[in-house]
Amino acid sequence: MKRKVYLMILLLLAAMLALAACKPAPAAEEAAPAEEQAPAEEMPAAAEEVTLTIGFTASQTGKYETSSGRQVRGFNLWMQQINDAGGITLSDGTVVKFAAVSYDDESNKDRVQELYTRLATEDNADLLISPYSSGLTAAAAVIAEQYGKVMLTTGAASDATYKQGYTQVFQIYTPASRYLAGAVDLLKATDSAVSKVAFVYENSKFSTSVVEAAKAYAEEQGYDVVLFEGYDPETTDFGSFINKIIDSGAEAVLGGGHFQDGSTFARQLYEKEVAIKFLALLVAPPEPDFADLGDAAVGVIGPSQWEPLAAFTPDFGPTGDEFVQSYTAAYDEEPSYHSAGGYAAGLVLEKAIRDADSTDPEKIKAALDAMDLTLFFGKIKFDTTAEAHGLQIGHSMVYIQWQKDADGNLAKQVVWPADGATAEVLYPLH
Amino acid sequence: MKRLQSSLGLLLPILLVLLIAAWPLVTSQASDRESAFTILKAITLAASLNILLGYTGYVSFGHIVFFGLGGYVGFYLVAVQNWPLVPAMLVGGLASGLLAFLLGKAILQLRGAYFALATIGVNEAVRAFINNFQPFGGPIGLTMNFKVYQQYGGAMQALQMAFYLMVLLTLIVVIVSHRVRVSKFGLGLLAIREDEDAAEVMGVVAPAAKTWAFVLSAIFPGILGALFFFKNGSVEPHDAFPLAASIEAIVMIMLGGYGTVIGPVVGGLGFQWARGFLLTNRFFKNIQLTVTGMLLLVIVLFIPAGAIGWLRHRFPKTRRVLQ
Repeated sequence: MKRKVYLMILLLLAAMLALAACKPAPAAEEAAPAEEQAPAEEMPAAAEEVTLTIGFTASQTGKYETSSGRQVRGFNLWMQQINDAGGITLSDGTVVKFAAVSYDDESNKDRVQELYTRLATEDNADLLISPYSSGLTAAAAVIAEQYGKVMLTTGAASDATYKQGYTQVFQIYTPASRYLAGAVDLLKATDSAVSKVAFVYENSKFSTSVVEAAKAYAEEQGYDVVLFEGYDPETTDFGSFINKIIDSGAEAVLGGGHFQDGSTFARQLYEKEVAIKFLALLVAPPEPDFADLGDAAVGVIGPSQWEPLAAFTPDFGPTGDEFVQSYTAAYDEEPSYHSAGGYAAGLVLEKAIRDADSTDPEKIKAALDAMDLTLFFGKIKFDTTAEAHGLQIGHSMVYIQWQKDADGNLAKQVVWPADGATAEVLYPLH
Repeated sequence: MKRLQSSLGLLLPILLVLLIAAWPLVTSQASDRESAFTILKAITLAASLNILLGYTGYVSFGHIVFFGLGGYVGFYLVAVQNWPLVPAMLVGGLASGLLAFLLGKAILQLRGAYFALATIGVNEAVRAFINNFQPFGGPIGLTMNFKVYQQYGGAMQALQMAFYLMVLLTLIVVIVSHRVRVSKFGLGLLAIREDEDAAEVMGVVAPAAKTWAFVLSAIFPGILGALFFFKNGSVEPHDAFPLAASIEAIVMIMLGGYGTVIGPVVGGLGFQWARGFLLTNRFFKNIQLTVTGMLLLVIVLFIPAGAIGWLRHRFPKTRRVLQ
């Protein structure tokens, strides 16, 4: 009997190993072996080939798995394309290609520093990309700074990391402090008569950082913040918050948090026919599933780091349409803003190397400091002051709004900023 | 001879900890130092929990609450109040000890599953409190300026110092665990584990003994939390109170052998080394959780008493040495 159990376990282990052997290698490694694909001896004598190793951790497991996976796929697509195109040729004839090394951080801070130390020392990564999320990035930034490795952060919106005196860390995303600033600008541009604003938000790290900054910005713009109230992430009944909104006489509501709470909040505001003119919520509205709310979704505005609709004219890299096409062809899925962020990180790196005309980290860093360009992802410019070095100051969010098309179908439209807009804002809300 | 055998009960786990500490010094690899830090952190968590779980028999799913609270207090003192690290760590430990003392008076009256459930509730309650406590940054948490590391000679030296402090803390936990195990107090705890009512009849003051065991087991994760978040440069509620870390600590104790001094050391080392290997191995890194799960299943099925328990059972002569 006991032998049978042993045998079964052995068989299970063997099956597992066989499965592992059949499983395709991670995308980072698929695109990685640039050296093997184009051996140096096949190149013309004058063209020396250099392979830069880019290190990062990805959340292959845990709660960031989906967003992180998309980010990595976006980055790998850029790497695949640049390597397939023959790399970057510098003025001295050096051809720069790229290889990636990545590990699973399990969406957990525990091993982030251990893995980034490994990337910086044992794997000799030349450049680093951040993990997904601000928390994990904060831990990785200590290591990047310690080893003097340039680290581009994507999927890490919190401002705090860039205000800790780091010099090697550069942010691709619009920081959390400006997530809703554009919504305030949009409101002001649409209806200057509105004066009373309410903030109702999820009591979590991300949402709180966003609304605290947005509140300060709204007050700076002359708005009267009549309600500023956080709710528990598990909240499903927003009745008491809605009553407070009504009592406060707020004309515009900003806040939300994540998908579940944000969409429930929007639905209940609609069902109770609250007479507000403007509703902007975090995270939930840009998600395609938000359309399931039907009429409750109409007019709701949401900030997004990037949307396929956004019509920016890039002065480097592909257009939005080209990116969407190549991403969809490569992965058979629509790119999200996480995917676009990963791809944009690669483009920024590529542009910095081209501008520096070198693979020297100091020169790449100087090129990043001087960078001021527009990608399909939007504008990219980094703060170079000692107080907030590396903070993203060029990129701004795009704001989408759910509107009904001529056939009565719900569709997302970009309504802000004006230069990327695809439709006029639908105002007032109901 | 008997004295030597008794000393080996302490010397063996200490030797094991020193070997782990020496590993990065021999290889001179910073990444090995980081791996050793992760292993020693796990051993400290498991060995401190073992004082309550292994000796007293009370299963706590909320052990990480002490890590989080001590981490927050210590980090606040270093990053906001500009305290030196070591006093901040000690205050972090004391804060956790105080919480355990107050909690112990209330929830240690519960037994079995009721106690286990209460500890989960405590973790959630403290997390909710911290989430709304503005001096600790509320839901945003706290971040430390990189220049704080300059006070310790730069980030490189600060991380090196954090590693040495980690080694020292692990050694202290192992020594305290051994002292408790061989003391009259420890004997009382073991009696409570076997039969609490009978222990009371025999003169063990169970409520006091359990409370002090709880306090003792809470101080070390508190100190550890302050050290860990100092090294990470930031702390937030989500990272400070992960319920899964409490469960991992229990798993490590069970793997090594609960109720022994060396068990959590072996369990922590084995578990974290295997996880680190699987995570970074080219072949296993995409199926590391599956392999970990399978290994746990195999161990629980065939050596439920843990590695040390199995050795003690299989080779009775080792019982005097493997304590």
